Parts: sequence; C-alpha cells; structure tokens
Amino acid sequence: MTIYFLPNERRVNWLARLAGGYNLFIPVKAGNGVHWQRFEKEQVDLDALALKEIRAAEPIKSFLFSPRERVALFPEPLEEPADGKPALLFGVKGCDLRGLAVHQKMFLEGEFADPFYSKRLKETVLIGADCPEPKDSCFCNLVGLKPYTVDGVDLVLSVIDEGWLVEVVSERGAKLIEGENWQPAAERQISKRDAQRQQAEGVLQQRNPKPLNPNLPQVIAERTNDEKFWAEAAKDCVECFGCLMTCPTCFCFLLYDQAKGDKVERTKVWDACYMAMYARVGGGANPRAKFIKRFINRFHCKFMHGKNQHGFYFCSGCGRCFTACMGKIDIRNIIGRL
Amino acid sequence: MNNPYQPIPTKILDVIEETPNIRTFVLKPEKEIPFLAGQFVELTIPGFGEAPFTPSSSHFEREVLEMTIMRVGRATGALFTKKPGDLLGIRGPYGKPYPLKEFEGRDIYIVGGGVGLAPLRALFLALVHEINKYGRIFLRYGARTPKDIVYKKQLKEWEKIKKVDIDLSVDSADEPWERKVGVVTCLMDEIPCDVKKSVAVVCGPPIMMKFVTKKLLDAGFPGKSIYLSMEMNMSCGLGQCGHCRLGPYFTCKDGPVLTWEQIKDIEEPFL
Ligand SMILES: Cc1cc2nc3c(=O)[nH]c(=O)nc-3n(C[C@H](O)[C@H](O)[C@H](O)COP(=O)(O)OP(=O)(O)OC[C@H]3O[C@@H](n4cnc5c(N)ncnc54)[C@H](O)[C@@H]3O)c2cc1C
Ligand code: SF4
Ligand code: SF4
Ligand code: SF4
Ligand code: FES
Repeated sequence: MTIYFLPNERRVNWLARLAGGYNLFIPVKAGNGVHWQRFEKEQVDLDALALKEIRAAEPIKSFLFSPRERVALFPEPLEEPADGKPALLFGVKGCDLRGLAVHQKMFLEGEFADPFYSKRLKETVLIGADCPEPKDSCFCNLVGLKPYTVDGVDLVLSVIDEGWLVEVVSERGAKLIEGENWQPAAERQISKRDAQRQQAEGVLQQRNPKPLNPNLPQVIAERTNDEKFWAEAAKDCVECFGCLMTCPTCFCFLLYDQAKGDKVERTKVWDACYMAMYARVGGGANPRAKFIKRFINRFHCKFMHGKNQHGFYFCSGCGRCFTACMGKIDIRNIIGRL
Repeated sequence: MNNPYQPIPTKILDVIEETPNIRTFVLKPEKEIPFLAGQFVELTIPGFGEAPFTPSSSHFEREVLEMTIMRVGRATGALFTKKPGDLLGIRGPYGKPYPLKEFEGRDIYIVGGGVGLAPLRALFLALVHEINKYGRIFLRYGARTPKDIVYKKQLKEWEKIKKVDIDLSVDSADEPWERKVGVVTCLMDEIPCDVKKSVAVVCGPPIMMKFVTKKLLDAGFPGKSIYLSMEMNMSCGLGQCGHCRLGPYFTCKDGPVLTWEQIKDIEEPFL
C-alpha cells in the first residue's frame, strides 16, 4: 500500500481535522509513563505526544471492552445505544492488537456475539504506530509479535526526524488522509523507517534472546502439579490482582444485577480469575479455593488453552502485568523457565 | 439489536413443594424457549441476579417450562420467596443437549442424586415420549432421606411404563421405607444391561458423581458412553466470560454435559 509523508509543521492540522469527526485519543507522556488522553486542539503539546514510546499504561481494551457497562434492563429491554462520535485511537502498538485478537475470539466468534462490543469495534478507528524504542518490560518478540503494526489497523504511522510516514491499510484509513495534499514518501524516508524497525527488533532480540519453549502448552499441562515450581513462582504474590486488571488480553467479566426501583439494571464488569469467589459454585464448593491453583490458572489460560484452541498465546508481551505487580513477578521469567 | 444479555419476562404459574428445600417452579416465558434436554437457561431473580438451571420438563412442551430448584444461597433464597404470578426472567437455552441420536437403539442407564434428578427428568421424559427409539431405560435414584425424594408421585407413575426399570435408595430411613438404604451406588451392584453397548447418564452432587463414575467404569462402561452434568460457576452462559472453565472446556458452551472421555485427564474434575 502507498506510504505518505507528512512534514512536522502540518501534524497539528491533521490531528485537528481528525478530531472534527472522531473522539480522538492520543498517547501522551505524563509522570514516568504514557497515558491516553483526549485530543484538544487548544491544549495539545506535540512534544508530549508519545508516539515513539512504548504502549500506554492503559490497554486500549478499556475503549472497547469497558470496565463496566450496562448491558440490559429488565423487564423493559435496553434501548438501542445512541450513536455518538466514534473513537479514533491514534498510536496503537503491535502488542495492543493481540488484545483485540483475543477479544475477537472470545466476544465475537462464538455462537453468541456481543452486539455492544461488535458495534464499538466496527466504529473505532485505529491508527497504528511503530515502537522504535522498546523498553526492558517489552517481550513481544517472544509471543510472535513485532514492534510495529502492518495490519489490523486503518493506518500505520512511523515517526522519522522530519515528520510522519503514514501507510494506508484500509479504505477507511485512505479516507482519513483525503484532502490534505499528502506527498508520497521518498525511498530514503521509507528506508529510514525500515532501518528503525529492524533496530527495534534487534533490541528486543538482545533483551529476550531465549525463545519460549516451543512445547510450552504441553509443558504447562505436564507441570501443573509441580507444586514446588509454582509455589516458588508465586512466592512474592500478594494477591493484588493488578496483573489481571492491567492486562490487555484478559477477557473475564461478571454480569451483575442491581434493583433500580421496580427495574433491574444488568452491568457487565471486568472480573479476574485470581479472585477467590471467581469459580465458587452455589453452596460454596470451589475448584480453585487454594490461591496457587488460581495462580496456575492464569498460565493455563494464556499459554496453554489460548495457544491450543486459537493458535496464539493470550499474551502480548506488553509487560504491564509486572510493571503493576506489587511483588515484581516477571511473567517472562516464569514461562522462560518452563 | 439481538442482545444476548437480555432476559425474557417470565411468569410463575405454580410452585410445587417437592421436599423441604426443593421446589418445582412452573414458568411461562413471554417467548418460547426452544430448549432440548440437557441444555440450561439463566434465570433472573429480579434484583438478586441470575443463576443457571436446567429445565426439568419435557422438551416436547416448551411453552411452559418447569425447573426444579434447591435452595442453597442468595439467588435461590430469593427465588424461594416468589409466588405464582410473580415475574422472573429467562435467557437461553445454552449449552449442548444430550445427543439423543446417539442414544437410539441402546439401553440407557440413568443415575441421579438429590436435586440432580431435575435435568434427568427432562431427559427421561424426552426418552419415554419416543420410547420405541430406545432400548430399556433404567433409572437409579438416591436421596438423603425419604423426605428428600423429588417427584414422588411421578416416580410411581413412571414405574408402570413398559421398558422402564426404576430403583430407589435413601442414605438413611427415618420413616418407614420399603426400598434400599445406602448411598446410590448400592443400587449399582448389578447393572442389568450390556454395558459395552449402553449409555450411562449421571447427575448429582460432585461426590456422588465421582463414586458413580468409578462404579460405571469398573462395570465396564466405556468412558465415551458416560455422560456427566458438570456444575461450574457460570455468569454469561454464552462462552465469553471465562467463569465456567473446566480444563480446556467452557462448560456453558461445550457442556454442561460432558463425557468421562472428555474430562478424564482433568485434575479433580468433580469439585
Ligand atoms: C448448568 C447448570 C444447571 C443447573 N441446574 C440446576 C437445577 O436444575 N436445579 C438446581 O437446584 N440447581 C441447578 N444448578 C445449580 C444452581 O445454579 C446453583 O445452585 C445456584 O447458582 C446457586 O445460586 P445461589 O445464589 O442461591 O447460591 P450462592 O451459594 O449464594 O451463590 C452462588 C454464586 O454466587 C456467587 N456468590 C455468592 N456469594 C457471593 C459474594 N458474597 N460475593 C460474590 N459472589 C458471590 C458465587 O460465586 C456463585 O457464583 C445448576 C448449575 C449449572 C451450572
Ligand atoms: S482466566 Fe484469568 S488470565 Fe484468563 S482472561 Fe480471565 S482473568 Fe485473565
Ligand atoms: S500477561 Fe502481562 S505481558 Fe502478557 S499481555 Fe497480559 S499484561 Fe501483557
Ligand atoms: S500483580 Fe503481582 S502481586 Fe498482584 S496478583 Fe498479580 S502476580 Fe500477584
Ligand atoms: S458462563 Fe461465561 S463463559 Fe461459560
């Protein structure tokens, strides 16, 4: 597909134009991290725009699979949600897309599709951005991902010194760059982008040189009862659930009902398999009453069932889980030892 | 919008007291629920949440559903305050039905414990509705005491059906009782069918399922002919929320009935 070049001085105009049609969210540097922020033309500080930095602290899942969402009313059903301005996420990383791939499998491809998720996903515009500066927490290379996006987004953006390179991926993406008098990128600029990408891959390779065991799903199955191994792996865990709450691929939720006068409101909220009540059944029996079983469950989910049933690990290598972890438990070390 | 989280308003027509803590709710949903024996629904108890239950009535009669429910906690506790005329909600049906096609021409050996007879009644009624398609039907049912036996009257009627063979036991008899005393496996010392060609269907408390399965395997039933109702925590019923995971399965979509062959490698499949 064609790659275009946008010189630095024209970036704000383009962003402002995008913000006209969408709820535009951009990643910005704040504190020691990167966070999603709504783009406001008056306030925007292009120096704070964090396109070269790694993924934001918050996974993009929050935009699509809301931490809490009303999904039904009873007895009168919920009305069709009103059409608002759709979201445009500007600067989505390769690892973010693994989360979407998992949710695609879980929420859309089974017998019952989630109509709310489906609608939001269709409406949300995604503009990918390369990751030229992977950090210590990144290990996307171990789970089969690259530090840049090529598809699954509408446009792919790469930052070079003199401006932005924008590669058109979808028809919707092509519309986003209409009417700005875009110049095709020069060979030299594209080579620069490719060199940056290669360099980033090299950095990841250097930091995470040892590939995962190619039989990881089977090894996890076999080691499930190796209590010594798991007790050692979990020994610093304080059961804060931060690892699951920040994880872009986690999909678990709970439906809960609340009485509102003579009506009932049903809300879908994120849930986490590390919670003691998660698998408890009526009357009190619990297949994972012991925490260690719940700890192992996460590895089953992400590195065994995900891979066996859908062909890819339910992990993006984003490193959010151990960045959030009170016990500094690096998931990469645990799966690396299996 | 086809909203899978939206329950269908459902009126309670009748409440039948089966035992001190088990009741059968006769329900009329606003729209027919096209369930087949073995499938389940999510029942909304307004203001108290949802819980999964298997219809216990015949799937040849779907305008009115019956569900036989034991009071164990919050949602079922609230349900037990409901009376005829009150409103509930239903979503479903979910999960896989019993593969009745595969049962054709074979003897069917059904073992139930406690309220576990509820889903088995849906199966039993579907089988006797077309009894010529199947071999003999054996029903072995155990309850704690004579008071805890569900469907007392119906059991007597069913015993009169040709090709049907019923045997009952109670763990302990605190009132006059003519049949066996002992856990339900005491009814299984002799299994009067050709185990290699028959199917076994089991539903009951986990500990009962564990021992009954062992007994069936010892008797020679192949693992793929033993159908077990697996009770896991469920929230969505749709295969999305993760709660009902049992090994590689989501019991709400791959189950709730799974064969022993499917679950035998799972560590402690019975809670
Ligand atoms: C497929 C299937 C079919 C079934 N069919 C039948 C049937 O035909 N008849 C029958 O009697 N039973 C049946 N059951 C069992 C029935 O679903 C349970 O008995 C019922 O869900 C119990 O609900 P409860 O709220 O009364 O029990 P509780 O023990 O109060 O609660 C059980 C549920 O609520 C959660 N919970 C409880 N307290 C809390 C708390 N404080 N915080 C957070 N979560 C909490 C638990 O995690 C669990 O999800 C079936 C179950 C399944 C899976
Ligand atoms: S089961 Fe656990 S690890 Fe898997 S998605 Fe749910 S919360 Fe995440
Ligand atoms: S498990 Fe950790 S590294 Fe993997 S996707 Fe989740 S937060 Fe990222
Ligand atoms: S973030 Fe760390 S301490 Fe918290 S539950 Fe996860 S592994 Fe345990
Ligand atoms: S109950 Fe939600 S996935 Fe099975």
